[in-house]
Amino acid sequence: MTTLLPEDRAVDSHARSKSAEMRKYGFFPGCVAKESCKELFNSTMLLADALGIELVELTAASCCGASVVNDTNRDIARVLNARTYAQAEALGLDDVITICSTCTGHMRAANKELLESPEHLGQANAILGKFGTAYNGTVRVRHLLWLLIDDIGLDNLRKMVVRPLNGLKVAPFYGCHIIRPESVNGWESARNPHSLEDVIAALGGEPVDYAGKTRCCGFHIQLEKEDVAANMVGQNMRMAKDHGAEAVITPCPLCHLALDGYQQDAAARWGRTDLPTFHLPQLVAFALGVPTDRLGLNKHLIDPRTIMVERELIS
Amino acid sequence: MAEIKLDVFRYDEGVDAVPHRDLVTVDLPETTTVLDALEAAKAQVDGSISFRRSCRSAICGSCAMNINGVTALACKTPCNTVTNENGAISVDPMPNFQPMKDLVVHMDPFWDKYTRLKPYLQPADRDADHDRERRVSPEDMKKLVAVANCIMCATCYALCPVVSVDPAFAGPAAIAYAYRFIEDVRDGRRDQRIAQISEDYLWLCAHCYACSYCPKHVDPHDRIVDVKRAAIKDRVMMNERGPRHALVVSKTIKQTGMLAETEVILGTVGRFNIVGLLKTAPLGLRMAAKGKMPPPFVKPIPKVDEVRTIFESLEVPVS
Ligand code: SF4
Ligand code: SF4
Ligand code: SF4
Ligand code: SF4
Ligand code: FES
Repeated sequence: MTTLLPEDRAVDSHARSKSAEMRKYGFFPGCVAKESCKELFNSTMLLADALGIELVELTAASCCGASVVNDTNRDIARVLNARTYAQAEALGLDDVITICSTCTGHMRAANKELLESPEHLGQANAILGKFGTAYNGTVRVRHLLWLLIDDIGLDNLRKMVVRPLNGLKVAPFYGCHIIRPESVNGWESARNPHSLEDVIAALGGEPVDYAGKTRCCGFHIQLEKEDVAANMVGQNMRMAKDHGAEAVITPCPLCHLALDGYQQDAAARWGRTDLPTFHLPQLVAFALGVPTDRLGLNKHLIDPRTIMVERELIS
Repeated sequence: MAEIKLDVFRYDEGVDAVPHRDLVTVDLPETTTVLDALEAAKAQVDGSISFRRSCRSAICGSCAMNINGVTALACKTPCNTVTNENGAISVDPMPNFQPMKDLVVHMDPFWDKYTRLKPYLQPADRDADHDRERRVSPEDMKKLVAVANCIMCATCYALCPVVSVDPAFAGPAAIAYAYRFIEDVRDGRRDQRIAQISEDYLWLCAHCYACSYCPKHVDPHDRIVDVKRAAIKDRVMMNERGPRHALVVSKTIKQTGMLAETEVILGTVGRFNIVGLLKTAPLGLRMAAKGKMPPPFVKPIPKVDEVRTIFESLEVPVS
């Protein structure tokens, strides 16, 4: 069952009206893309160039709070994100584009509360008012994955491909917060999503279907109980491997840290899987012709270039 | 009428070494529930097909099972919404449980975790000799209504990925039910209850929202967050990694506007916990070798004062 937030209903017409000029979006990279996954940030900017869109980074934005600040206070995430949305509004931008599943889910949850409850918006603005800012409720939070499909379009994407993936078998790994809860995301079915599959196919790859694609990678409990988190990675990657995957793609840097980092530790229980994991923008940018050495693939613990050489995608 | 095909998981733990499947066909209106189709199959085709049911109306919580791979109540699922590619409906026992017979599973681990909660009110003055009512205001009651709707069907428990790799985790339903007593103004064991559920790995929830498919809209995940907030508010079991993690994340965001990864690892594991840090070291070293370490210090974002104002206005705890 798909529920659309009121903010999403306008996407189609909105996207069309934008298509004429250079499309410009507010961009929220999130902390991890600025810290341990810089290769995600860099490849996103390169991809934006290749797509001919402009991502305007909201440089004064704070962390979205992830799934953690909520544990300390019920209002903090909502107000922090209202501050970020106000910055987008001040730049005249009504889209905030994310590249992290967790950012997407939590920022959308905050926005939903702000848009649906005058009380919550009032509380946020009372605080933002202390430093002369206000949020008017005009922002929509969207993941880059949705932008690719809604605004660029799969047909256009297919046409832009200059280095097709030659049927590389890629397992999509959605991560939780870009699909669940459906009341917050709802862009596609959380139980049968296919946006990543569609993108993989548009790039000339072969999507791999497996039950683990919508399951959790355990990132948020790595520090709580590392072996449990590693086992969650192992369980999902085992399924992907058994269904023929040669590589994985994820729209979330937290999932990336988990999948890329913990397959080795999970091998004792789940057997070796060693699946290289691409950040979504890395693989799209590659297919669109961005030079491979600029994508930061050498930063991954499981080097994706090995399978790319084997499948004659690079030499 | 329509021909409804059920592809049934068959297994008898005392008898079968491995499970097998039976394809059973019944003639029923296509809007029939999966449970009614199973009842018809049992009555008309094979009396040995086993499954649990009682109320047939989403109240008793007996009939949760996997229907085409999705855990749901059979009595709340119309057949015409679930037919799979082969034109059949596959029915399997819930995951995360040991199968007993066909669709019936051993529920003991689920009930054990529930029993450990002492799931009944224990007022502080329960031995006092008094004849007054214990009254609850409508606002106080409102917090409990959603959780009180839990029918113990274990759908959420079957869907929980943490339970699937670590059976010690209390799981969504038990934590949500702990909330039901922790936030009940009549109860006198709030902090003992928070301590008990912390020991049963309250902080091991991975925030995946798989349990958001609760058929009674209990939203266990959001109640888990409520219990964590109660733990921090009452400062119960604050030396555990979970609360330390939540507080250090808040602290680094307040200081820098960002989640400072290095500081968060040190603060969660414990700066002086050499053994703990060494355990996280192998991955850390692998990452360092790839030039993939988070920076030791994070530069504050522009206008970080605004972020601090927000934290102070809301009186967010950071230590
Ligand atoms: S979810 Fe992660 S990446 Fe996104 S802002 Fe928060 S900490 Fe940063
Ligand atoms: S899979 Fe894990 S890290 Fe990725 S979004 Fe879900 S909970 Fe977060
Ligand atoms: S919380 Fe919901 S899914 Fe879980 S046992 Fe209760 S009713 Fe069932
Ligand atoms: S949100 Fe937490 S309790 Fe619910 S299914 Fe996920 S890990 Fe389990
Ligand atoms: S038979 Fe009671 S909940 Fe389905």
